[in-house]
Order: sequence, then structure tokens, then C-alpha cells
Amino acid sequence: MPDHHTGDERARAPVDPGLQIERTTLAWLRTGLSFAVGSLVLTRLIAHTRPLVALGCVLALLPVAVLVGVLAVRRYRADSALPQHRQPLADGALPAGVALLAVLVGAVGMVYTVLL
Amino acid sequence: MSVPSHGTRRWPSRVYGEGDEPDARFSLANERTFLAWLRTAMALMAAGVGIETVNAATSSSQNPLVTWLALLLLAGGVLVSAASFTRWAATERALRTGRPLPAPRMGAVLGYGLAAVGVGIAVLLVIVGI
Repeated sequence: MPDHHTGDERARAPVDPGLQIERTTLAWLRTGLSFAVGSLVLTRLIAHTRPLVALGCVLALLPVAVLVGVLAVRRYRADSALPQHRQPLADGALPAGVALLAVLVGAVGMVYTVLL
Repeated sequence: MSVPSHGTRRWPSRVYGEGDEPDARFSLANERTFLAWLRTAMALMAAGVGIETVNAATSSSQNPLVTWLALLLLAGGVLVSAASFTRWAATERALRTGRPLPAPRMGAVLGYGLAAVGVGIAVLLVIVGI
């Protein structure tokens, strides 16, 4: 990446030019929030008619949701502790966890659709 | 470009096992694309649950066609969720090894699939009045 900053400018330059890390963090937040709201609404809908099934769904979703939360906090800490101009620590564990959560939410949605 | 030192090995090794560290901006963009696909999957699943809830609330006997459509949307959401991760991995691998990016197959499937779902909803509206 060409660096056009002069000395004084560089001192005040943002740590993350283009705000890539910030944009990615916001994308993670949007996605996480939509999954949290989606699964809450879904389990509430199931609990309306089948409380035990809803409990089962919560027990299936919760461990994965907690895992994703732990991985997200760990990644956030690792990234924010990075010195300037270093690569963020990316790993496939968090994407895999969220994709698994999404598949589980879809399965719970199918359970709801079939049982309703 | 300097390769960052990592205390732990990164998973999956199928992605991180070979190639060089790409420009961080590309990895982050790949991650955001993955997340956008997941939100798309969430929208598909929400649509499925939504039409089934309306189906149950508005008629005493549920229309099985609507239930099948809801299941189709939910299955599509599950499929997109799973495929978005494999695509993230394939793209990250391509970025590291300098090979061309994988072809965007999900876009075509989703586009034609949603067109078919739209036609299905239109037919349902006309024939059964949902």
C-alpha cells in the first residue's frame, strides 16, 4: 500500500485507514444481532404452543451461541491489542461457529413449521 | 508484506496451511461478504417462518402449499448458511495462494430460486387467495 502521509500527518493518521476493521466489526454486530433477535422470536413462537419443544430448541442453540460469543470476544481482544499497521488475527473458527448457528436456527424454524 | 507471528495455529489448516498472508483488506472484505450471505440466509429463514405464522393465524385449516413454501425457504436458508462458509474458506484460500476467486454460484441459485418462489407466491395468491 503506497503511503502518501508526511511525517506530521502520519502521526495523526488513523490506525485503520479505510476503517476496514471497524466496518467488519459492525458487520459482525449486525449479523449477531439479527441472529439473536431471530432465534428469540422463533423460540417465543414455539413456546406459545409447545413449551417443551421450545426448551429443547433453546438447549440446542444456547451452547453454539455461547461458543460464538466467546470466540467473538476473543477475536475482538486479539485485534484491538494489535500494534499499529499489523494484520488482524483472522481465523475460521468464528465464521464456522456462526454458520453452524445459522444452520441450527434454520432447523429450529423447520421444527416450528412442521409442528405448527 | 510482513507475515504476522501467531501464537496459535489457525483453523482450518485447509485454508491457512499454504500460501502467503494476503492484504488484510481482502481478508476483511471476504469476511464481510460471508456475513452478508449469512444475513441473506437469515432473511430467507425469517420469510419462511413469517409466511407459516400468517398461514396459521389467518385460516382455521392451514394451507399445505404455504407450509411447503415455508419449508422450501427455510431449506434455502440452511443451504445458503452452509455454502457461505465453504465459499468463505475457498475465497480465503484463493487469496492466499493467488489463484482466481471461486465462481459465484450461490448468486445464480438464489436469484433463480427467489424468482421461482415469487412465481409460486403469485400463483398461490391467485388460486387459493393464501
